[in-house]
This record gives sequence, C-alpha cells and structure tokens, in this order.
Amino acid sequence: MKWIYRRLIIVFLTIYAAITITFFVVRAMPGDPIDALAQELVWKYHMSYEQARQLAMSIAPFLPKGDILHQYIRYMINFFRGNLGVSISYSTGTPVISILAAAIPWTVLVVATALIISFTVGILIGMVMAYKHGSKLDSGLAVLFSITRSIPEYIAAIILLWVFAFELGWFPTRGRYDYWALEALKHGDVFAFVWDVMWHATLPILSWIVVHVGGWALGMRGSTVSVLGEDFVHYAVARGLPSRRIVVTYVGKNAILPLFTSFMLALGFMFGGSVFIEYIFSYQGIGWVLYQAIIERDWFLMMGAFDIIVVAVVIGALLADLLYGFLDPRVRRPA
Amino acid sequence: MSEPIISIRGLRVVYHALRGVVKAVDNVSLDVMKGELIGVVGESGSGKTTLAMAILRLLPPKVARIVGGHILFDGLDLATAREEELRKVRWSRISYVPQAALNALNPTLKIIDHFMETAKSHGIRDRKWVVERASELLETLRLEPERVLNSYPHELSGGMKQRVLIALSMLLNPEVIILDEPTTALDVLTQYFILNLLRAIKEKYNMTMMFITHDIAVIAGIGDRVAVFYAGKVMEIGDVYTIFKRPAHPYTRALIKSIPTLTGNIEEMKPIPGTPPDLINPPPGCRFHPRCPYAMEKCKRVEPPMVELKPGHLAACWLLA
Ligand SMILES: Nc1ncnc2c1ncn2[C@@H]1O[C@H](COP(=O)(O)OP(=O)(O)OP(=O)(O)O)[C@@H](O)[C@H]1O
Ligand SMILES: [Mg+2]
Repeated sequence: MKWIYRRLIIVFLTIYAAITITFFVVRAMPGDPIDALAQELVWKYHMSYEQARQLAMSIAPFLPKGDILHQYIRYMINFFRGNLGVSISYSTGTPVISILAAAIPWTVLVVATALIISFTVGILIGMVMAYKHGSKLDSGLAVLFSITRSIPEYIAAIILLWVFAFELGWFPTRGRYDYWALEALKHGDVFAFVWDVMWHATLPILSWIVVHVGGWALGMRGSTVSVLGEDFVHYAVARGLPSRRIVVTYVGKNAILPLFTSFMLALGFMFGGSVFIEYIFSYQGIGWVLYQAIIERDWFLMMGAFDIIVVAVVIGALLADLLYGFLDPRVRRPA
Repeated sequence: MSEPIISIRGLRVVYHALRGVVKAVDNVSLDVMKGELIGVVGESGSGKTTLAMAILRLLPPKVARIVGGHILFDGLDLATAREEELRKVRWSRISYVPQAALNALNPTLKIIDHFMETAKSHGIRDRKWVVERASELLETLRLEPERVLNSYPHELSGGMKQRVLIALSMLLNPEVIILDEPTTALDVLTQYFILNLLRAIKEKYNMTMMFITHDIAVIAGIGDRVAVFYAGKVMEIGDVYTIFKRPAHPYTRALIKSIPTLTGNIEEMKPIPGTPPDLINPPPGCRFHPRCPYAMEKCKRVEPPMVELKPGHLAACWLLA
C-alpha cells in the first residue's frame, strides 16, 4: 500500500509545480489585462490611450496588488482553498470557478464522445488492418490515416464547417444550442433540447474524430501485428479455440494494453478541449474560454483554465497507473 | 507395440521465403508406433518443427505448403484432410507441446482458464471435471494444483510453465502427443526430472509420444526408437540401443561423437565440421556429403536409398547400400 502514498505525493508535487510554472508563464506574457482592455476601448470608442487606461482601471478593480512573489503566494493559498480568483473579461468579477464549471460539461460532451468513438472505431479498424497486414486495404488505410492524423484540427474543422454547414446546410454553423431549444427546455421538452445539443455538437465531434481516429488505428495496427506474432496466439489456434475467442481474448486484449495509457492521458487532456475546434464553431467550452482569456489577457481565467487541464491530465495518468493493474496481471501489485 | 498409429509417407513441405523455396521436409517416410516414445533428432533447421506442424496441419497458411506425401492416422490422410476433420483430431486425439514454450500462455489469463477454454472448445462444459483432471495431471507432474491453477503465467518459473503445457497437452487424453523440444529451456536437473516424468506418464496413460530434440543424448535415456533428421531428410531410424551402440550412418556417428560428457575427455568430443546446407539449394546426391569424411563420387551425384540393415533399423547411405 505504501506505493500509493508515494504516488499521491508525486501527484501533488506535479500539480504544484505545474501550477507554479503556469502562474509565472502567464504573468510573463507581454501585455496585461488593463492594457488589453484599454486597447479595446481605444479601438471601439476612439478614446486616447490615457483616457482608456483610466477607464479600464475603473472597470477592472480586481487586479492583484503587491509584488509578484506576494501575488504568487496569495494565488497558491487561494488555489488550494478552491478559489481561482475572478475574471475581468467576462462580466467583471465573475468567479473563474463558475465560468469554468459552466464550460466544462460542454467540452466534456464533445471530446468524450469524440474520444470514445475514435478510440473504438480506431481499435477495430486497426485490428482489421493488422489481420490484413500488407493487403491493399491495409496499405490504403495506412496512407489515408497518416494524412488525416497530420491535418491540423482547425483545418479539419474549417473544411467540415464549410461543406456540411455552409454548403449543404445540414448542421448549424456555430454555438452549443439554439435559443428556441432553451425555451423548449424551460417548457419541459427535454428531448427537443438534447436533440438540438447533439445537432450542434456533431461537427465539432466529427472534426475531432477525423484528426484523431488515424492515430488510434495505426497504434492498434502496430500493436496487433506484434501480438499476432506471439507464440501464445499460435498455441491458442493449435488448441482449437474458436477464432472469436482468439481475436478478443488473445489478440485484442493483449494488443490494447499498450494503448491504454495513452487513452487515459487523452481523457485527461480532454478537459482542455480543443481551442481551435471550439473557436471555429464558436462552441463555448473550455477551449473557447481559454482563447478569449488569452486575447483579453485575463490572467486568472487563463491560469484557471490551464490549471484544470493540468489537474485532469495528472489525475488521468494516476488512474491509468491504478487501473492498468486490473488489465495486465503482470503489473498487478499485491493489495 | 507393433502397429503404426501415424504413418508418414513421402512427405514434402516447402516454405515460400523471399529468397526462394525452402525444402524444409523432403520425402520423409516414418512410422510412429502405438505406445512408443520416438525421438526425432537433428540439428537446428533440419525440419523437425516443420514435420510436427505438418502432422497437426498448423503450418503458417500463406508461406508453407504440403506439396506431396501422406500422413495417415486412423484411416484419415491428415495431409489432405478438410478443416472440420482436422478439428476433430487436433488436441483431442493428437496434441502437442510447443517449442517456444515460455511464451505460449496468454499473459492476461490464469492457468485454470487455459484449461477451461481448451476443454470448452472441445465441447466439455463440466468445470468440475476440468479442475479435477487438471489437478490430477499437475500433481503427476509434481506441481501444486491449487497454487498453479490460480496463478498467471508470469508467476510461474520456466520449468513450471513447461509442465503446465505438458499437462494441457494431456488434458483431453489424446492418443498421441508431439513434444517439440519441451526441455531445451530448462536447466539439466529440471530437464532430467521432466524427462523421467514423461516416461512415467506415457506408461501410466498408455500414450504415444513423439519427442523432438536437437540433443541426441536426451533421447538415450527415455526413447524407444530414434529417427535422425538431416536437412529435411531422415538419415537413419532404429531402436535406441542400436542407434547408440551401432550407429550405421556417418551423420549419426558424428552426432553421437559430438555429445559432451561429464566424465569424458574434452578432446574426444568432436563437433561436426562445416554447417548444415541451405535448404533452398540443397547439395545434390546425399545432402550430408559436403560434411561427410567418407564421401565418394557417387554420394555427390545420386541420392542414397533407405536400406533396411536389420528389421527395424534403416539408414540412407551409399556405404551401406
Ligand atoms: N515461416 C518460415 N518461412 C520460411 N522458412 C521457414 C519458416 N519456418 C521455418 N523455415 C525454414 O525451414 C527449415 C526448417 O525449420 P524448422 O523450424 O522445421 O527446423 P527445426 O529442426 O525445428 O529447427 P530448431 O531445432 O531450430 O527448432 C529451416 O531452414 C527454416 O529456415
Ligand atoms: Mg524446431
């Protein structure tokens, strides 16, 4: 049991270090929130910079005071108390926590769905490719996937948006749901709302899948090919086991093992969403919030969003370690 | 012990490799007698595993092909039998212990599950029967059934795994077991121990065993008969006593001389000079002639026939013909 305490201490230190680094990196970025806001005012209302800066200061009175070391200490204390500060770019003074809490479910909806679909589909295709190793189907898909996996997310998103939203009009161009759907929900029509949400989420999910399915498929293909060469597979055939059992319990299970850790890490990264996909579909999840925060130099919101991602990834890695033992008896530790 | 249970006649197996066609088993005829333990001996690459895989029809489908000959077993020609017929024979009537035994078990399954699934695949659903039978076999092989059955493969030592595979091969009480170098990965003591167990088990369950090894000394202690393989061909067949006391073929003699003994003088041990031939372009005539100290002109051109020197003792060499 001792190793789990050691593991937890490492988790804590990792999170602590990552948050510290985030704090200083964010603060080292050129520009500050007041400056960003003043620039915007100058641009919008044609004020002089001096005037705009005065106004900006009065709009955003929440900026940290004192030297940066004191600010850092205060931030850390507040962080571990669950207080991530307030935003200046959103309606001024909104707690960062509540902005993030409102955005996370939407990101999780999109990315979790996309991740599960691309993982499942990728694994199945990867296994088929491995079984047909060297065939035209296999090499064709291998080429296709090495192309799709190197497409940047925003390109995939733009192409899908253009084709399926603008040209064909099958899907909405932006947003998480329509106004009428929210009204319907208020009148108790849950189904209409859920349907509208799914309709809006389809293209963001598809963009994610298009980019990521190839990686899972190619990973599974490689790992399946090596498992297929293992003695225990040939020996299972010799013992007359039905091929279904061999495919699932002998090949599938052993081939997925090496992908499991990446899957858990991807689950962690999912809380970061995809900045580009959410930005292009104006999908207000964490990625979108993060993008806004960076533009506005909204320090606390930026740090909060980064911190969420860090914590999620570290916990994902921890879970991967803990759960791996259940899948692979070779690393199972004595209870 | 006089009638053959498996009769191999003129068997030819080739592999289609990148460099060309490998004649891994070339015109092999061999009888496996009911109830005997026959050793198949030969250097690495001589085609022993290929012969075993051909009998079970487990050769890699795309690369390997049986291009000629028959493997007769209970009125069936295994060389040409259909897949359904083979399935009835495999494991329940002829089973085997694989050569690369250390990685032959699924790392994610417990030992008991390996027994269960094997039984289930052959229509046995009685879990209690499987546990009892597996325990009995493991006990005979001097393993603790409780502990071993509930272990994962990685929790067992190499020697234990090897014995688990032997037990698995006997689960369905097959008539024939082919053991492909079942002891090479083991230390000498464990090897000795397992060999004696095999002999005892064979007697107890009245099985036929085909024991493949590159170490002719291993056969001396436990075998009834020996078939000596060289470059995909049988060079000599005879009972163990004859082969060791009066080997007829120069290759067999060289093989026996190459055995290191603990008490013997190291100078007396003679490794066979030269290397085994390339099976894509095997030498014409007798395949052993490039390494044979007695090679004659004829040996380089014409393949020697198998001649019976005395009942049950056959050799293929021009010195004897
Ligand atoms: N899959 C394959 N593809 C091509 N050639 C093969 C293949 N498997 C075996 N061979 C060739 O067939 C010949 C016989 O191999 P085999 O494995 O039957 O030898 P062996 O007597 O069992 O040797 P060892 O003692 O090393 O196990 C060798 O020359 C080998 O290179
Ligand atoms: Mg072999």
